[in-house]
Formats: sequence, C-alpha cells, structure tokens
Amino acid sequence: MSAATTADALRPGGSGVAPGGGFGWAVRDTSAMAGRNLRRLMRQPEMVMFNIVSPIMFVLLFRYVFGGAIGGLQGLNYVNYLIPGIAVQTVLFSAGVTGFALAEDLQKGFIDRLRSLPMARSAVFGGRVAADTLNNAFGLIVLLLTGYAVGFRPASFLGLILAALLLLLFALAVSLGYAIIGLLVRTPEAVNAATFPIIFPLTFASSAFVPVQTMPSWLRGFATHQPVSVVINAARSLILGDSATAVQRAQLLGGTSTGSLIVQALAWSIGIGLVFGLLCARRYRRLTR
Amino acid sequence: MTRATNRPAISAEGLVKTFGKDVRALDNLSLQVQPGTVLGLLGPNGAGKTTAVNVLTTLLRPDSGHAEVAGIDVVRDPDAVRRSIGLAGQFAAVDDNLTGAENLVLVGRLNHMPGSAVRARATELLDRFELADAGGRLAKTYSGGMRRRLDLAAALVSRPPVLFLDEPTTGLDPRSRIGLWEVIEELVREGTTVLLTTQYLEEADRLAQQIAVVDHGRVIAEGTSEQLKARLGGARVEVRVADADQARALAADLDGGPFGDIGVEDDVVLVPAADGAGTVVEIVRRLDAAGITPRGLQLREPSLDDVFLALTGHAAEDVPSGGDADRGATDPVAETAGSKR
Repeated sequence: MSAATTADALRPGGSGVAPGGGFGWAVRDTSAMAGRNLRRLMRQPEMVMFNIVSPIMFVLLFRYVFGGAIGGLQGLNYVNYLIPGIAVQTVLFSAGVTGFALAEDLQKGFIDRLRSLPMARSAVFGGRVAADTLNNAFGLIVLLLTGYAVGFRPASFLGLILAALLLLLFALAVSLGYAIIGLLVRTPEAVNAATFPIIFPLTFASSAFVPVQTMPSWLRGFATHQPVSVVINAARSLILGDSATAVQRAQLLGGTSTGSLIVQALAWSIGIGLVFGLLCARRYRRLTR
Repeated sequence: MTRATNRPAISAEGLVKTFGKDVRALDNLSLQVQPGTVLGLLGPNGAGKTTAVNVLTTLLRPDSGHAEVAGIDVVRDPDAVRRSIGLAGQFAAVDDNLTGAENLVLVGRLNHMPGSAVRARATELLDRFELADAGGRLAKTYSGGMRRRLDLAAALVSRPPVLFLDEPTTGLDPRSRIGLWEVIEELVREGTTVLLTTQYLEEADRLAQQIAVVDHGRVIAEGTSEQLKARLGGARVEVRVADADQARALAADLDGGPFGDIGVEDDVVLVPAADGAGTVVEIVRRLDAAGITPRGLQLREPSLDDVFLALTGHAAEDVPSGGDADRGATDPVAETAGSKR
C-alpha cells in the first residue's frame, strides 16, 4: 500500500460533510440517485433489450400477424389505432423496472446503506422515478419510430407530444404502484409474480389492440372504463385529432371529446400516483419499525 | 487522535426492540464505547447484535430505551447521527453495476461532500484498500474480499468518527480477514471509535479492548478479553496419559502438592497453572519421578469459546444459522432466527 501518499486515509474527521436538509439538497440527492439508477439500467443489457425489442415485436405482431383479422375499425387504418395502444402497453410494462430495482436494492442491503447516510429520504423514490421516466421516454421513442416505419402517421404532431407526456405521467403513477409492491415483496421475481396478474388483464382487456365493441358485453363495460383504456383513448384522441370521424369517435374512443378524455386520464393518473406515492412513503418510514 | 473525554462515543441504555408479539430482539440492552476504542459485540446468530447495530445507526427505532452516538440522540436527531457514522454490514452493500470508484463517489455525494473532495477521497481510499487497479471495474467482478474492502471504504468516505462493523469478516478467507483486521487496527490508532459485532472469538480477542457478550438481546457479560477469561480461573496444564486408570493415579499423586485442585477427565489430568510455565516444569519433574511418559502435555489459556460456553450454556458457533442469509436491518428474521414479524 502506498503509505506515503495515503498515510491519513484512515483518519477520522474533517471531510466537510455538509449539514444537508432543505430542498436544494433533496434535488442534489435526487439527481445523484437518478444518475446512479440510469447508469445501472444502461449496464443491464437485458433491460435495454427488453425496452427496445419488446415494443418492436408487439408492433410487428399486431400490425402484420393479427392486424388483418381485427375488425370493427369503422374505416380507421389499424396501424394508427394500434400504435397509441402499444405505447401505453410499453410504458405499463417498462414501469415495472421501478419495482424490480427497488426490490433488488432492498434485498441486497443497498437501501440500508442509503438509510445510514444523511441524504434526503425522498431522493430514494425521486431518483428512481426520474430515471425510470427517462427510460420510459426512451422506450416510447423507439416505439414511435418503429410505428412510423410500418405506416403510423399521427394527424397532429402537437397531439402526439401531448399524448406522450400524458403516457409518461400515467407511467409514473404506475411506477409507484410497482414501487410499493417492490417494497413489500422484496425480490424482483416476486414483484413480477405479484404484478403480472394485474397488469396483464388491464393491458389486454382494454382498447389497446382491438375495439372494445368486438368484445362480449360482460367484458365491454370493464374494458371501456378501466384506466388503461381511458388513457389509451385520450392518447389516441390526441393523436388522431380532427382526422377521426364522429362515428370513429363514438365507436372507438368511448364517444367523448378529447378534452373530457384528457381530464379522465389525468384524474386516473394523479389519483393512482397519489395513492401509491403515499403508500410508498408510509412503507419506507415503516422500515425503521 | 480525538481529544480524550470521558463522554462515551456510543452509549445505549435499556434498549428494547420487539418484532411482532413474541420476539424480543433487544431486551434491555445497555453498553458504552469509549472514544477511540473498539467494543466487540460477541454472540451467536439471533442474539440481537445486528438489531443493536441497526438501532444505533438509526435504521431501526427502539421501542424504548435511550441511545446516543457521538453525543447525539439516535431517535431525536437521526440525521445528525448519520453525519457522524459509517456502517459496513455483513452483506457488503455495494452496487454491483457501478465501478468501485463510482460506488465511493455516490456515497460521497450523498454525504454532501463537495465534488472535488469526493473524487480525491475516492482515489485515496481505493489506493489504501488496494483497489486502485480495480477502481474502474464493475463491483460485480470483484472477489468476496474486494467487495468487503470496497464496502468498508464506502463506510469511510466521510471520515466518520464512529464506525459500525456488522460481522465484517464473516465468510472471508483467512488472508482477507487478517487484511481487514489490520485496517481496523489502523483506524482505531488514528482515533476512530468502532463497534464491531462478530461470532468469531478470535476476532473479538484481537481487535476489541472491551467485549460485551450478548445473548437473547441483552449483555450477559462485559470486560476485557483477559477479565472474561479470568472468570474461568486462568490457565491450566492438561496432561494426557495412557488411560483413565493412570490418570486417576497421577491425579492422586499430584494432589496435596502445590497445585491446588486437580481434575480428571478420562485420560486427561487437569492441573491449575497458577505459576504458568513454572507449573509445567514442576509437573514434568513429577512425571519423570513417577516414570510416566505422557502422551500429551499442554499449557492452555481458556479461550473465549470456553467463556461463551460457561456464560450461555451453549457454544458460540453451535447455533442453527438458518436466518443468517437474510438481510439485517430491515428484516428482523436475520437476528431472530426464523421468527416472524
């Protein structure tokens, strides 16, 4: 060991640890954690692959394999119907990272290390959802480019941007749902097992891939009004803009105006985010009990 | 060195922590650690060692009792405590997908150290812990010993005056263990106060000025290693002869001499060695005179194992270790051996 240069490496005191506290430190801690989380994500090739490959596969599958058999579209080009649906499915699935990663950090004792540091408590979640939101945004971009390559043409570019922001907000709310599961079950595998039976029906018993009018009546009510469909319909309505006919709106988008759909989608997102966010905060505090 | 004061660097008074209804992980635990010294918390799995560390490092709130670290109340001002402590656990809580250097820089930033100081400090610690060459590699490529060193380095980034080491060498090979011991000894020489939990009696013996033996959530004995051993009456000579008959004959021969109470266990004669090596010489003389060639003869100091056995009725490492693989701080199972919350 190079004793000459590091003679006092083990001397205590005098590192200038700042008192911390306050909003400024919370922001700095959050950005430190977000940076760490992003770095981790990028170093897990399986995560990156999942993020890129899964939306591409779904687009190709539904566009070319199932697409021809899907009816009830009232003359709407299926690829324009499909892409907003797969967009929601993409963020719904990739939001799972939040839960997997938190469970892993908890399991490996990394959360304990964080809890022994004078950092802002909120940065553990803040840094997590910030990184995962960027990850979601990346997945969305991959999806939209793939969609464009197979013929997806949004009627309104502004509508597309607004739709993407709405989806990211919804994804953030869902992330917090995964987060509370992650804090409770504590292993990535268990997060998967616990969330799959919820996420799968919400994704597929929705307006994501097929018009709900083609479903049996007992399923149609759920499929129309459950939050995933509401968010998809709002996104679809924004993206289709004025190009959608009155019949298409009534049959495919729940029959309501874009404004009303957006309000519903925001209400669901904010409601889900608040409930799960508060549960997360409570659960995190309870780790000391 | 820190200035010498009489105020303990760590003090705990009547700590109680229960999990669920029946598990009293801490049952009125009290201890004190003087500045610049090492207290070894010695006990089997499930004794409450990790729970004690978790309460003192603010990871768990005690149900009752009072604890101060660096003069700060752990319940009332946990953030201030966190600025004064370092924690290295038995699970090496480093981020596998960050490099060694990135791990240390992250901890420095979350300690709110200035950016330039953090990098310099990370380099300095990597150097000191012989990780300079590995600093740019992901931690998941590290060996067990390297991970422990990185974990300890991470605990030291902010130069904390008080350090908690929860079974720092569990599962390490002997060479890595000795390396870590040397680092801990140097830390203490430089003035750090250390609370160390261990199941290894040898480790407590070597590192700790004071040892607190913990069982069922409370301290059942405390003192220096010598004081604890002295409870067993000091060293003795063990003479192994041909068989039990010969042992009894020899014991009778030695009895009534200068030795005190002679014991016999099968073919071994136990003689108190009040005079140390002098006793050995005297015994050899007697054996020679009696024409007995012993099969074995040794002067034996009581080990902390003997102490542990005498105090608790069970050996230190004779406890099922089922809960050992569980996480410490947030999972009471690790310290309460299979009980539920």
